[in-house]
Amino acid sequence: METGRLTMEEFQLVNKTDGLTISSKKKNVKESKAAEASIANCKVEIIRMDPFEMEIDFIGFNISLVNAYRRIILAEVPTMAIEKVYMYNNTSIVQDEVLAHRLGLVPLKVDPRYFEFRNKEETEWGAQDSVKYSLNVRCSKNPKAAADETNPDILYLNRKVMSSSLKWIPLGNQTDIFQEANMQPLHQDILLAKMNSGHEINLEAFAVKGIGSDHAKFQPGLAWYRLLPEIELTREVEGEQADLLQKCFSPGVIDVVTTPGGRRLAKVNDTRNDACSRNVFQYDSIKDSVKLTRKTDHVIFFVESHSALKSYEILEEAVNIMIGKCSLLLAETDKLIESSAPS
Amino acid sequence: MNAPPTFESFLLFDGEKKIIKEVDTKVPNAAIYTINKEDHTLGNMIRMQLLKDPNVMFAGYKNPHPLEHKVLLRIQTIDASYTPHDAFMNAITDLISELSLLEERFREAIREKKEGFD
Repeated sequence: METGRLTMEEFQLVNKTDGLTISSKKKNVKESKAAEASIANCKVEIIRMDPFEMEIDFIGFNISLVNAYRRIILAEVPTMAIEKVYMYNNTSIVQDEVLAHRLGLVPLKVDPRYFEFRNKEETEWGAQDSVKYSLNVRCSKNPKAAADETNPDILYLNRKVMSSSLKWIPLGNQTDIFQEANMQPLHQDILLAKMNSGHEINLEAFAVKGIGSDHAKFQPGLAWYRLLPEIELTREVEGEQADLLQKCFSPGVIDVVTTPGGRRLAKVNDTRNDACSRNVFQYDSIKDSVKLTRKTDHVIFFVESHSALKSYEILEEAVNIMIGKCSLLLAETDKLIESSAPS
Repeated sequence: MNAPPTFESFLLFDGEKKIIKEVDTKVPNAAIYTINKEDHTLGNMIRMQLLKDPNVMFAGYKNPHPLEHKVLLRIQTIDASYTPHDAFMNAITDLISELSLLEERFREAIREKKEGFD
C-alpha cells in the first residue's frame, strides 16, 4: 500500500497524500478495502525498553490514535501524590503553603493500581484510597562542629530537609499489603526546605490517587512522538561535497564510503536519528542532491517515566484507559438509541 | 479565587448525561452529538474514523470553550438510508477494533521483549 509522505522542502512542508481531505473522498472506497488488507501491515516494535525510558514504533496506525495515547499518558494515567498536608508546626522560613506545594510535587514509589480514587466528599482517610506520611524534623547546632567552621551544612544538624525524612505511617491494614521500601518517595534526595538552628517542621501529609488533568503532579511521566525521517540521495555526491553533506545532518545519518575505484561517495546510513534540520539547503552545490521526507504512518513514540509506574506500565495503562473510554462511549450511545426509540 | 474546581473536567455533574444527540433541522441527514467530559483525545479520534467512512459527507468536532468540558461532533451522511447515528456507531466499533488490534500487537511486543530480559 502506498504510504503517506511529508516532504520537507526548503521553505515548506508538503503533505503528498492527505487521506482526510474531501477531494480524496472518492478514492476512499478503494482505500478502505486497502485499509482492511493493511491490518497485516500494522506493526508495533519496541526499540528500547527499560523501567525509565522506552522507545516504541507504531507502524501503520493513524497518527490521531498515537496522539490520543500521548494525551492519555499526560492527562489520564493515574499516579499517587500528596494532596493534603496538616501543618502542626512550621518555624522554618518556607511558608506553609509553599512547603505543602513542594511536598505535593514529590514523586512516590506507591503503586497506584492498588488504590481507589478518593471520594471528594469523604472526610476519613481510608486504607484503600490514601497513604499517610509524617515529617518531623528539628534543626539544631552541631556540637561536633569545629570552632572555626563556616559551612552551615556542617554547623547545623538537619540543615537540609530531604524527601527521605518523609516517614510512611500505615493506615488500617496497609502493613499486610505493603512494605515500607515500596511506599517511600521515589528519590531520597529531594530538597524540601532548608532550616536554621531552632527551626522545626512537624506535619502530616496524605497522598491520594489522581490524574494529570486534575494537577500536573499526578502525571506519570512524559510522552512524545515523531515521524520517521527519510533521506533520499537523488544523485551521486562525491569528495568534498560528500563531507559537506555529512556535516549537514545529525551524526551517523550520512556515511562517506570509499569505492573500489578510489572515489569517496556519500551514502545514507541511518536516518532514524536525524533531527530533520534543513541545513543542507544552505549550500547551493548540494541542495539539489537530497530529498527529505517523513513517513506519516511510521510513528516513533517515546515514554519517559518519573513515577512509580515503569515506562511500559504507563503505556499499558494508557492502552487500558483508551479501550475503557471507547467502550463507555459505545455503551452510552447504545443507551441513547434505546431512550430515544419510543418517540 | 474564582477558578472552577479542576475535577469538573472529568466528573459528570449529577444528572448530566454523557452524550446528547441533537438532530440538525437545517440540512438533511445531519446530527450534532454533544459528548460531555471529553476532549480532543476522543473527539479527534472519532472524527478521523468518521472521515474514513465513504458514506459520511461531513464530520467535524469542536471544543466550544476550554472551560466547558465537552466536545460537539457534527455528522452528515450522504443519504437517508445511512443515518448519522449508524455512522457514529460504526465509527466507534471500528475504532474499538483498531485499538484492540493495537493493544494485541503491543502486548505481544512487550511479552517478547520481557522474555528477552530473562
